[in-house]
Amino acid sequence: MAKVLVIADIKQGMLKGGTAELLSKAKAIGAETAVAAIGSNIESLTPDLVNAGSDTQYIADDPGLELFSAGPYASCVVDAAKQFGANLIWFAFSENGKAVAPRVAAQLDAACATEITDVILEGDQIEVIRPAITNKVMQRVKINTEQLVAVVRAGAFEAAEGITGTENVVKLSIPAADLKAVIKEILTDASGEIDLADADVVISVGRGAKDQAGVDLVKELADDLSAGFGSSRAMVDGGFMAHNKQVGQTGKIVAPTLYMAIGISGAIQHLAGMTGSKVILAVNKDPESPIFNVADYGIVGDLFEVVPILREEIKKIRS
Amino acid sequence: MKILTTVKKVVDVELNMHVKDGAIVEDGLQYVINAWDENAVETSVRLKENNGAETTLVSIGGGDCTDMIRRCYAMGIENGIHIDDPALTKADSSIYAKVLQKVYEKGDYDLIITGKQSQDTDSGQTGIILAEYLGLPCVSNVIDLEVTDDQHIKVSRSGDAGTEIIELALPAVIAVDVSINEPRLPQMRGIMMAKRKKIKTMDLAALGTSSDEIGAAAPKSEIAEFMASESRKSGQKFEGDAAEITAQVVALLANEAKVI
Ligand SMILES: Cc1cc2nc3c(=O)[nH]c(=O)nc-3n(C[C@H](O)[C@H](O)[C@H](O)COP(=O)(O)OP(=O)(O)OC[C@H]3O[C@@H](n4cnc5c(N)ncnc54)[C@H](O)[C@@H]3O)c2cc1C
Ligand SMILES: Nc1ncnc2c1ncn2[C@@H]1O[C@H](COP(=O)(O)O)[C@@H](O)[C@H]1O
Repeated sequence: MAKVLVIADIKQGMLKGGTAELLSKAKAIGAETAVAAIGSNIESLTPDLVNAGSDTQYIADDPGLELFSAGPYASCVVDAAKQFGANLIWFAFSENGKAVAPRVAAQLDAACATEITDVILEGDQIEVIRPAITNKVMQRVKINTEQLVAVVRAGAFEAAEGITGTENVVKLSIPAADLKAVIKEILTDASGEIDLADADVVISVGRGAKDQAGVDLVKELADDLSAGFGSSRAMVDGGFMAHNKQVGQTGKIVAPTLYMAIGISGAIQHLAGMTGSKVILAVNKDPESPIFNVADYGIVGDLFEVVPILREEIKKIRS
Repeated sequence: MKILTTVKKVVDVELNMHVKDGAIVEDGLQYVINAWDENAVETSVRLKENNGAETTLVSIGGGDCTDMIRRCYAMGIENGIHIDDPALTKADSSIYAKVLQKVYEKGDYDLIITGKQSQDTDSGQTGIILAEYLGLPCVSNVIDLEVTDDQHIKVSRSGDAGTEIIELALPAVIAVDVSINEPRLPQMRGIMMAKRKKIKTMDLAALGTSSDEIGAAAPKSEIAEFMASESRKSGQKFEGDAAEITAQVVALLANEAKVI
């Protein structure tokens, strides 16, 4: 029987939805499930880890693990994988997952696959499906090792209703800090900010917004909808948006219920981060803009005119 | 400081791609330097200019890499190594990392700069795995870099919680994101000088290794087939009076798509 170890995705002390999605998939393929949770002050997350669908919880809880550091985190995962005898080790899509997965694979001498959208098991043979070449093609990849370490693409698996696990907590020993890569400081996101990865609605602003006033205008729409507020690379490079708000191939991959692209042209690298969304709305003044090729609803118009009307109309329809 | 920069030749992602019988149709494809690696080259050259460094690049596979390597010379890289061997046609990231380990061990480098990911694989693993093989510290998704002293650099990593400032003890490996800099365009003088520069081409034997040793004989993963990607269909596009069409679309979002 397959044994899946899912690495809990924890941010600001909360368990993110991706963890339950991966555990649901593991149960759906009939695997035995475990979760590895790494951080500081995370004891209280145990019920959430169980409810997400894990049957064993490997927990590394220590003040020294409060700030993410790829080396010690990888040691914890390797330890849990060995204790559990995992043959599949899955990370939910995150920058941290992308940094740790290859280390774990190297230490276990296992294969590593990133951005997978599916796993196929036939007997002992593991295969994965993943996009490549900026989503222009898909690949079916044959895994030749007994173990596979994988990062799952955002939105690939769905959390099943009514799944739960059993509590069986195993404490992991705490690895030494990485003295060769010392975190000096984290310029954290403003507290209370909505995480792009969790948001049901994501609104992204592009170069069409021109300057700070344009960005603020679109931000108001995002605030109205309690939406995650993201951006294209152009606005990150322009210094208007933080780097970790970038949606796309080299930023966040999002799959919300509703994605709004405001003043974004739809370069393939941007599309690679958002075409998994359920519904896409685009506002762009150029009717030939490639963003309209992927949008369910396209408004051809000047965003400075359209966004205030959007806000009004949404308020009206909601009341 | 001695810097090793890794550079891969990849398919140009901006061109159309077609899949037939499980493979990508070669017709009409072009090959270019991997975008992230251009940022890695720029990072090295700036370190050379601002702090003094010896810069070497290495590229593995990819057939004829002369033009790509000359372009990097014209940007300011001093030495180029091209490793090409028929055993590498099916290589995955861990095999490339093994080859890079061999290159590193021959060169006594202080810093290895890789790109965040290859545009042909989108895998994002090679630099990180290489660091594990070498037992060196590593930071990926680097968006800024500063030299602190002879033995340390300070990098910014774009992480999940925000931007992390990390001090790395050298030797170290970093994988850079496209946001770290704007790669320069090679200038005429550089292009002329680059033409006279040599490229050191080696196969695995010349590198002092073999297909078995680097794991090429038994890759951990291999691409079984390529498939066309599911493309989204375009939906309804509205043109005309802004107030009218926006109200129309909001009504559709509420009543048809049921998302607001
Ligand atoms: C290796 C690599 C990785 C990359 N990764 C990413 C990534 O992760 N994410 C990403 O987004 N990009 C990424 N890019 C960059 C990408 O190629 C594009 O350059 C970028 O997405 C463009 O951003 P934009 O659409 O905001 O700007 P532009 O392409 O300049 O588009 C602006 C749009 O706004 C419209 N517009 C202008 N004024 C108005 C107005 N008043 N009202 C309405 N519409 C208006 C224009 O018609 C145009 O369509 C990457 C590039 C490379 C090479
Ligand atoms: N064949 C190669 N030759 C040189 N560098 C490579 C090669 N493959 C990967 N790299 C480097 O490793 C980075 C990450 O690659 P990948 O793991 O394929 O996404 C790239 O940006 C390159 O800098």
